[in-house]
Amino acid sequence: MNILEVNELCLTYRNNNLDRKILNNISFNLKKGEILGIVGESGSGKTITGQVISSLIDLKKFHITSGEVKFNNENLLEKSEEYLRTIRGNMISIIFQEPMLSLNPVQTIKKQIIEVLKLHLTNDINEQDKSISDIFKKCGLFDKDKILNSYPHMLSGGQRQRVMIAMAIICKPSILIADEPTTALDVNLQNQILNLLKSLSRESDMSLILISHDLDMIKNYSDEVVILKDGEIVEKNTTTKIFSSPKESYTKTLLNSRPKRIVKENVNDEEILSVKNLDCDFLIKNSFFKKNKKYFKALDNINLSLNSGETLGIVGESGSGKTTLARNILQLLNYSGKITFMNHDLSKLNKEKLRKKRKNFQVVFQDPYSSLSPRLNIFQILSESLAIFDNNSKDELYAICKKLLYEVGLDESMLMRYPHQFSGGQRQRIAIARALSIRPKLIVLDEPTSALDVVVQKSILDLIVSLQEKYNLSYIFISHDIRVINAISHQICVLKDSRIIESGRTTEVLNHPKTDYTRGLIQSNQIS
Amino acid sequence: MNMNMENSSIWDNFSSSKRNIYSLYIFLFFFILSMFAEILSNDKPLVMSINEEIYFPIIIDYKEKNFGGYFDTEADYKDSFMQELIAKDNNWAIFPINPNSYNTINLDNPSPNPAPPSEYNYLGTDDRGRDVLARLIYGFRLSVIFAFVLTIIGVIIGIFFGAIQGYFAGRTDLFLQRFIEIWSSMPELYLLIIFSSLFEPSISLLIILLSLFGWIGLADYVRAEFLKGRNMDYVIAARTMGLTNYQIIIRHILPNSMISVITFLPFRISGAILILTSLDFLGLGVPPDTPSLGELLSQGKENIEAWWLSLSTFFVLVGTLLLLIFIGEGLRESMDTRSK
Repeated sequence: MNILEVNELCLTYRNNNLDRKILNNISFNLKKGEILGIVGESGSGKTITGQVISSLIDLKKFHITSGEVKFNNENLLEKSEEYLRTIRGNMISIIFQEPMLSLNPVQTIKKQIIEVLKLHLTNDINEQDKSISDIFKKCGLFDKDKILNSYPHMLSGGQRQRVMIAMAIICKPSILIADEPTTALDVNLQNQILNLLKSLSRESDMSLILISHDLDMIKNYSDEVVILKDGEIVEKNTTTKIFSSPKESYTKTLLNSRPKRIVKENVNDEEILSVKNLDCDFLIKNSFFKKNKKYFKALDNINLSLNSGETLGIVGESGSGKTTLARNILQLLNYSGKITFMNHDLSKLNKEKLRKKRKNFQVVFQDPYSSLSPRLNIFQILSESLAIFDNNSKDELYAICKKLLYEVGLDESMLMRYPHQFSGGQRQRIAIARALSIRPKLIVLDEPTSALDVVVQKSILDLIVSLQEKYNLSYIFISHDIRVINAISHQICVLKDSRIIESGRTTEVLNHPKTDYTRGLIQSNQIS
Repeated sequence: MNMNMENSSIWDNFSSSKRNIYSLYIFLFFFILSMFAEILSNDKPLVMSINEEIYFPIIIDYKEKNFGGYFDTEADYKDSFMQELIAKDNNWAIFPINPNSYNTINLDNPSPNPAPPSEYNYLGTDDRGRDVLARLIYGFRLSVIFAFVLTIIGVIIGIFFGAIQGYFAGRTDLFLQRFIEIWSSMPELYLLIIFSSLFEPSISLLIILLSLFGWIGLADYVRAEFLKGRNMDYVIAARTMGLTNYQIIIRHILPNSMISVITFLPFRISGAILILTSLDFLGLGVPPDTPSLGELLSQGKENIEAWWLSLSTFFVLVGTLLLLIFIGEGLRESMDTRSK
């Protein structure tokens, strides 16, 4: 029995009298108790689809041109706002990506949960208490009283997401829409939350719509899959069929874009970088007296080494100190310990000497939107550092910049454009070209593909590897995603709570992990 | 700054509103016109011909002796001697549209000063017989130039201190911030009163005194922009590329923080005009002979029945401030990316 039917839904976005098609002819059915996965790149319309179903869209901006959304055989699009309010949160619930933004920071969890209960279920305090205990037990929130009296910032990310789920399902909805429910969480937590959602769905016969960009996650948890691209359905089928025998070429590209190991083994053992006993503290409480000062240890006794022409992958969850490590290696923060790069102890150089050495190690950042200055054009961005270190004429600079653009797969017509005219993937290519411009020996890549879609991610990874082979570059590749690290790195360091808990050759570590943490990482990502 | 896409879209946004574009054009029209105040309103003829010879009194100073007079001083073309000379056959003179300068005193006025508008003084005279229209034209010019200079000095000092504070942050920021707090707690008005009695009041003294305090608000603003900018990825990338601090500030952070500074400018200019006017009104401003809107206003207060004094000044002042505020409002709206 279909609990939800979406028929030929079309939606346009209205801005300054310009209509832009967001959704085109979307149709799918959802059976009772079924888990439906909606996959697509950013901008493919997957979030909007979820919001239309839960009647959350702003009808001033979005205009539904045709189609229907039938819930229990009633078209929700024709219903009044009052009627929808009894549906929303009660029959159809939604959980969002960012648990911190979805909970009100100035109210206790208790107040926020009871608000939902009062609205849809009951005013009776005993009954409220009972359903809260039930739901908390189901969601794996054991310390009920403590959590109820906490404010959102006092809970961990996983607890917050559990509270969000508890609030969403406390009224026993027929449909739960989970919009990227785990993207903001660490891998181990991701699995717990998804398992929880799956078991909740099975237990209470609740239908679940799982919206995600992550193919593997969809593969593991959903019964049916809908693949969206540019607001249209490319393919829909059962999960097993989609993954074993995809029909459309886009689906095939998407499946092939999942990171696979693409680097060749390297036999070079000439050390280019070594880090010894690196410590880095952040002052968190200042005081006039030394003993009252409080520090946070961001890095604790880090030792690592990198051979030339190799990639060192650093994997860890957010807050584990990955980015701090990168900035220490780039000599942007104060640290104690010894960082030797090309036989020079970098910590012993004075400012001016260090500045001259900097051309040998460059950086590429995660966010392609903030890493290029919006007021400089591509030529200015690329030629900037060249102009400092070499005395090239303008014509020579043009020639070099054109070559750089070809090198990263862009063409010279883009030289005079500004960053905002490019897509995220193109910007990341420009950032790589900028890092390459002064022919460094080492490039630190800080989550360079995390903000990109899988297909673009694959092309960037391919580019990075081909550049390495061409120029014998060394990389430090930082990521939270062990699949990407596996695809690209020769050596691997697992960072947790400011310490390296495991390191070695990638194949070795991944095949024979020594710590539980690494084992969990590998299992939850099913690296083959 | 480069005339790039973003800048041209700011101009498109700005010019899409008629109010903005008219305000800008009207203001520019009057401002440029006032730059030619000496040609528009002067008591010397533009050109004159005496005894077959051509003179340009507006450019060259002629002695009265040159025309056969007694005095070895500059000729007074409004004096009866010169008037009679010009009125002779074959002699002629072309006077500016308003044949009075800001300090021309109309001695032949039939009615007592302040005199109502007449064919000699289109907007009447003030209490010393000086032409109100001429004083308005020169006063407007002085106010606007004064405001421009004050704003530019304030912006330069403000950006300088704000940039240093924001970019270097930490201890530098702490010390400068404390310094600014102490500095800004000095009573500005009392200092002005004390200094205007110690020194001979002049425009430059006023500019120096007001500049000492005028940069503080802007410095705070620039500091915030730089604190935000110094942690942007492109700034960190620039540092790893080995750019010097100066290069980073000039090329990367400053252009990206300029929008907020530019948005501020029209408001600062109108504020400076208002400050000058109020100081003049209180008698703490420019020296007495200088044409100033504030002084005209205070005369209007003294001679409440002389409507031509207060009303004309009032309209000039309100018009100027209104245009500047419209321009500023338009700029702010067209640079606000959130409204798009």
